Amino acid sequence: MEPTILVEGLSKRFRIYHQRSETLKEVLVDRRRSRYEEFWAVNDISLEIKGGETFGIIGANGSGKSTLLKCIAGILVPDRGKVSVKGRMASLLEVGAGFHPDYSGRENIYLNGAILGLPRRYINTVIDEIVGFAELEQFIDNPVRNYSSGMYTRLGFSIAIHMDPDVLLIDEVLAVGDESFQRRCMDHIETMRREGRTLLFVSHAADTVRKLCDRCLWIEHGSQRQAGQTDAVVDGYIGEVNRRELEALQSSASELGGSQPGWMGVRLSSVAFTGGDGEVNSVATGGELRVKIAYDSPSALRGARFRVSFYPAGQAVLLSVQTDDGKLGDRLLPAEGTVTLSVPRVPFLDGVYGTKVEIEDIASGRSYVEIDRPQSFRVQGAGRHEVGIALVGHHWDVPALDPSTVQV
Amino acid sequence: MGTRPRAPQSGPVARRLELLGELVRRDVRARYHGSVLGIGWTLLNPLVFMLVYAVVFGDIIGVKGPSGKSYAVFILSGLLAWTFFSQALVMAASSIINNAGVVRKVAFPWMLLTVSSVIAALVNFLISLLLLVPFLILAKAPVGWPLLAVPGLVLVTFGLSLGLGLMLAAGSVYFRDLQYIINLATMIWFYLTPVIWPLTHYQGFFNHGKVGLIAHVIVYANPMTWIVVSFQDVFVFNRWPQHWHGLVYAGVLAVALIWLGIRVFRRLRRRFAEEI
Repeated sequence: MEPTILVEGLSKRFRIYHQRSETLKEVLVDRRRSRYEEFWAVNDISLEIKGGETFGIIGANGSGKSTLLKCIAGILVPDRGKVSVKGRMASLLEVGAGFHPDYSGRENIYLNGAILGLPRRYINTVIDEIVGFAELEQFIDNPVRNYSSGMYTRLGFSIAIHMDPDVLLIDEVLAVGDESFQRRCMDHIETMRREGRTLLFVSHAADTVRKLCDRCLWIEHGSQRQAGQTDAVVDGYIGEVNRRELEALQSSASELGGSQPGWMGVRLSSVAFTGGDGEVNSVATGGELRVKIAYDSPSALRGARFRVSFYPAGQAVLLSVQTDDGKLGDRLLPAEGTVTLSVPRVPFLDGVYGTKVEIEDIASGRSYVEIDRPQSFRVQGAGRHEVGIALVGHHWDVPALDPSTVQV
Repeated sequence: MGTRPRAPQSGPVARRLELLGELVRRDVRARYHGSVLGIGWTLLNPLVFMLVYAVVFGDIIGVKGPSGKSYAVFILSGLLAWTFFSQALVMAASSIINNAGVVRKVAFPWMLLTVSSVIAALVNFLISLLLLVPFLILAKAPVGWPLLAVPGLVLVTFGLSLGLGLMLAAGSVYFRDLQYIINLATMIWFYLTPVIWPLTHYQGFFNHGKVGLIAHVIVYANPMTWIVVSFQDVFVFNRWPQHWHGLVYAGVLAVALIWLGIRVFRRLRRRFAEEI
């Protein structure tokens, strides 16, 4: 059977203008042609997607995913190679494009429908469904310029979904709308899958791709990196992302330097993270992590408290520990020194963690100085079966089979 | 969800016509939305211009219209045709850029955006023709069978503005200043078209050496000259267009411009979504 979407050796070149001569003055006065550099946003990509298949394209931001999708949608014309799509195509990258602000929602449905290629008489039969899906029954006759951005997107989405396409192209737009709308969109996409429509799905969210797609393509800098069964490709992609993050952490290790002097001239001169096997900025789940905090101060420190907080990148603090357990108490610390925190068995699971280090005066509670490193070390937990943020000791009781009762 | 009947697949022509209908509706409405006078502006604009020209050129400068005929009807008949043409060019020039949002995101026959803007100008023109009625009655000027020439004249004007408009629309995506240039150009073009004075009025100027010769060539090569003169024939003199060779020339030019316009547009549209 012939593939529904066929992409052969597709390449797309973009121009980056250094200084674009757009105005008459620039063209006349500055006679040089506008200067630009060219780069290949998509380079020699080939794809064959069969009817009824759900196909994913993953890659980092700027890897060329959306450019590839726009070439398939026919918005961009490739410089090399060719694209062919069988059947009616709709794309969820065009949400609300072409809405007229002075038109009511209802009038925009007809206008947008016509732009997307739907006859008026067909829209008449589905308009209630479109309005209902977008939950805009009360507002459908108001001009869309009065809509909130959520209403606007929901309406655009609902129109695109009701286009009854054979091929649906979906860009990362599923992140719009509230939770319940998102869920209904996913349900609808699932229905379309079951109906045997062909779906092409672009995302950098590995989870969604894993959930939806049969096969998958991973592109990097516009070129194919890996293609095939979703699990294998997504594993490869995630592995690569992790490796990159770790490298970036290690190369920036020397830059994890100190802070500016804070209150009373106290300064954190450096914070260093080492794993049990001496690896910089990296530790395995269950391994030992050492945090070395070097400080200096114009004079000896009395009654100071050190606090270290760990949090998964971009999330709330998971664990905060401080030296306020009486050992340090009112002790006088040298004007310059190193405090080391050891965590013998790191409970965190795979991911990048941020660290906040603070020194404060116990008596007043006032902070001398603090450093916050959103990406300070990586925990290598890949290959473990636990999912989540932290490893918690656990034990299973599973019934055993008494061999004497087994009937063969 | 049950199995809903599949959406009908309209043919390429039906699909384009349907879309064109929606776009024209939008463009025509967009013009009047939010203004108190609404459609009245379509009538008021040429009316005011006509009065200004009649006073400035007729009374102050002393330009003479055709003898024994109403100067108001004379100016108006040419002015309406001219306004159609110039407005179509200006609207077409911005038709793609003004829809950047949709061009960047949806693949559809973008050319229809330009076609629709020219049709919207045509709709305005047809409405503005109403303005002639009271003046024809006031001037007791008879009109008859030559009115049948009007659709042909409109068609040629439409073709001229569509052909040029397609080139301007596509060119503006790459070169924004085209929009402003076209405003200036139509202003100069207006004076090279015999709207305010009869074609014969240029005669003295044409004899002024080199400049006169160049002006002579330009005025005669200007297809709008023949359109405007023919409108004057119909409404002022109640006669069939006299300069039929000029009209044939304008018609052939219109076809050529449409052909060229489509070619240029198709060529340039390849990078629209990136450049816009």
